This record gives sequence, C-alpha cells and structure tokens, in this order.
Amino acid sequence: MIGKLMSGMIETLKDVDDPQDLYAQMTRDDYDQYLKDFRPFEEQLLKARNDTSLIDQARKDVQTQSRIASEVAARNTERYGGAGLSNAQRQQQQRTLQRGTSLAAVGSINNARVMQREVNQATLADLINIGQGVNRNALSQMNTAANLQSQRYNAYKNAKAQHSSQMIGFGSQLGSALLTAFLI
Amino acid sequence: MSGPKKSEYKATEAEKIQAKVAKAEKDYFNEKYSPLLREMRDLSLKENYGGFAAGRAQADTMQTLTKPSLAATKAVDTSAELASAAGAQQIMAQGKGLAAKRQRQVGVLATARGQQADATTGLASVAKLEASDRLQSAQRKQMMREAQQGAALEIGGTLFSQGMANIGNDGKFFGGDLRDKERQTDDGLVKTSLMRLGDRLAQKGYGPTG
Repeated sequence: MIGKLMSGMIETLKDVDDPQDLYAQMTRDDYDQYLKDFRPFEEQLLKARNDTSLIDQARKDVQTQSRIASEVAARNTERYGGAGLSNAQRQQQQRTLQRGTSLAAVGSINNARVMQREVNQATLADLINIGQGVNRNALSQMNTAANLQSQRYNAYKNAKAQHSSQMIGFGSQLGSALLTAFLI
Repeated sequence: MSGPKKSEYKATEAEKIQAKVAKAEKDYFNEKYSPLLREMRDLSLKENYGGFAAGRAQADTMQTLTKPSLAATKAVDTSAELASAAGAQQIMAQGKGLAAKRQRQVGVLATARGQQADATTGLASVAKLEASDRLQSAQRKQMMREAQQGAALEIGGTLFSQGMANIGNDGKFFGGDLRDKERQTDDGLVKTSLMRLGDRLAQKGYGPTG
C-alpha cells in the first residue's frame, strides 16, 4: 500500500517547463539568500581574527579572583576562631595576597595574550582555508563561463565563415551558370 | 526532404523526472535544512562557551583548594595561591571556550560557503578541562601542608600514647629512669642516648599498635 502510494507520489510533483531558467533562478536566489543570511556573519568572523576578548576578560578575572580568595581566607579564619594568627601574620597574609595578585595579573594577562594569539591564528588559518575554497570555486565557475563564451564565439565565427563560404560558393556557381548561359 | 522538427528535440521522460525531483528536493532543502544552518549561526554567536567553561573551572578550583583546613588558614600564602590558581584556570577555560566558539562559527561559514566543515561543536574539548600548572602547584602545596600536619599529629599521637604507657609503667613520660637503671644493672655503664633510642625502638610493645 505504502509502496504504491510512494511510487505514485512522483507524479504529483510539478513539471519543470524550463530547467535552464529555473536553474538560473535558483542560483540567483541562493546567492541573495547567502548575502542576506551569512555575509554579515562572515564579516564579523573576519574581524574576529583581531579579537582581544580573552585579554580583556583576564584583567577583570584577576581582580575577581583576588577578592574571592580574600573572602575565602576571611571565612576560614572566622571558622577556626582566628586560627591563632597574630596581627603580624594577618598583615603578612594580606601582603602576600597583594603580591600574588599582582603577579597573577601579569601572568594571567601574558597567558591570555598567548592564548588569544593562538585562537586568532587558528581562526585566521581556517578563514584562509575557506577563502581559498571561495577563490577556487569562483575561478572554476568563471572558467566554465569563459569556456562557454569562447565556444559560442568560435561557433559563431565558424557559422559565419561557413555562411560566407556557402555564399561565395553559391555566387560562383551562379556566376558560372550565367557565363555559361551568355557564352553558349 | 523536411527541416528539423521541434518535437524531436524535446526532453526525454527521464530528463523531465530528473528536473522535477531536483526542483522538489531543492524546495525541501530550502524549507527544512536551510533554516538549520541559520539556527546554528545564531547559536554560534550567542552561546557563551567561555562562560560555561569558566564556571566549571571555578568550581574545580574551589573544590580543590578551599577545603576547610587549619594548616591552610594559618599559611601565609594560601589566599595568594588560590587567587593565582583560579586566575590561571579562568584563562585556560576562557581560552578553550573561545576556541570552541570560533571552531563552530568557522564550521557554519564553511558550510554556508558550500565547503566541507568540521561538524563537531567543540563542546567536548571544553568539557575536558585540565588543571592548569598553577592549580596543580597550589594543590601540591595544599597537599604538602596537610601531609605535614598529618605527620606531626601522628608523631605527636604516638609520642603521647607511648608516654602515657611509660607513665603507667614507671611514672615517667619518657621512661628514661627505667632504661638507665636497666643499663646500670646489666653492665654497670651509662650508655649513650643514641643506644638508648635503639633500645627503645627494639623494646617489645613499642607504639600504639604494639
């Protein structure tokens, strides 16, 4: 039953009167759609190769982490009833945290720079690959179009030459027939 | 002799069906599949992999380094180590997240451009976050503090239990009188403390398990 229905379904499809025209329309629509849907996205991605979001984020993160660490330390000190720490020890902890934060900021930003560069370079490499494909496709399509035009041009020239040759042949035949008629 | 007939240049039945099917497939693609790529494009722009990975990294760091510990609370560099390790983890996570995001975006663009694309979302690599060097270093320090404290407590515990046992035997915590007396009884000589320590270690029933 299903097989019968499926086999008959193809007959319900609409006929294509002019496949060439339809193909041209599809190509036009696809390109328009691409321009509308993906060109802004593509341009955004092309700009992303100079992204600095990781470095910017690292600057913020270091301050946040320093605050969190300080709060954790305060909670732990309270949990252990002061943990037997003298004022001098507490001050030293604060100083070490400040020193550590400064060092962490420098280290984090340096690491973020390295990582950002890695991500941007990878994006650049991928974009170059895509670009190479785009270029290859464009050249291939242009090559096809140029070949077709060349074939058409040659066909036209050949037809023109054939026509001239036919006309010359016809003229010469006519001339020789006239000459024959007058001379006989 | 007649000229060419237009009917002789008509498409065959197979060609007509091929065109019909192609048209139907293209319409189906435009309706069902084309929106999927647009959806993927929007997701790749919107989804914040870095934030997701950073959240996980923060949880990992806090689970590793903020277990309540007296040794850690007393140590002078615990907070600095925590801040430093957490910062390093954040950078690593944000970096992985951004790399995954870009991978997905490039995949969408490549597909839109009709090229072969990597279909993975990159989420798997984000999920597998390693511990950064800073976190590992902080974890090792924390472990060493705990181990030192544990060792000190164990030694102290052993000393205390043996001392209590000695007090039970002869009234002295270190049991020194008993050893000295025994030695003077045996050969009439006062031996060095090193030998006494050896004797103590050799003594039957030494330690809490003896």
